Amino acid sequence: MILLVAILAGLVVGFSLARYQKRPWTVPPLRKPWLVIIAFLPQFLFSYLPVTRSLVSDDLTAAGLIVSLALLLIFCWFNRQLSGVPLLALGLFSNLLVIVVNGGFMPINPQTAGRLVSPEVLAALGNGSRFGYKDILLLPEQTRLIWLSDHLLPPAGFPYQVAFSIGDVIIAAGAFWLMVTQGKPLDALNNKPKQDIAKESEC
Amino acid sequence: MQTKFAQLFVFVRRINRQHIQVVFALLALVLFVLGAGAPDDGGLIPH
Repeated sequence: MILLVAILAGLVVGFSLARYQKRPWTVPPLRKPWLVIIAFLPQFLFSYLPVTRSLVSDDLTAAGLIVSLALLLIFCWFNRQLSGVPLLALGLFSNLLVIVVNGGFMPINPQTAGRLVSPEVLAALGNGSRFGYKDILLLPEQTRLIWLSDHLLPPAGFPYQVAFSIGDVIIAAGAFWLMVTQGKPLDALNNKPKQDIAKESEC
Repeated sequence: MQTKFAQLFVFVRRINRQHIQVVFALLALVLFVLGAGAPDDGGLIPH
């Protein structure tokens, strides 16, 4: 949800900026976008879709998540020249690293999880249980690279409570930047020749 | 009925390759952030 907000915000800001500078706004020219769809498939089947999620073992889900993130990293490599993608790759790598060293799921400690579910639900789950889509409940002393885990929370009074990692913040920043700049370097946006603008508006 | 078909035809003609590319790129980006990010709001757990 918060990551989709970053894309939407980037879209709005990028579009507004383009209109202000009197140039057309286009989506970033992503290379091999089909790779993302293939990469997302294991997550969709093993984590998101309730029907298939219940049929798959935790080990297979963990392996699917790691393979999925690795494929997304390859997608980043193919698109590394687009501005914003290095940030996306950094956030993705950060999440992948903490997931790999903690057995294939994103660790979340019970204190953080307590802000998201009722105490009864939390007590019923217990340490080491799957939590949400990609997380696993782990005590802080059992968590490796805890500073990369889902340990960040919005302020207590915020209406939408969600736990997120530093990697998620970096991914959100990368997605926002990619949409604002359309994947182009900043100087290319600012120093656009006027005849190019005229040509694009004719098309 | 014929008017409806005519309207549909005009609408379909407006969808060109560029529109499909835009939708595909946005879909890829949305799936990317959903796949790469791991924020958790306690989904799939009965509250």
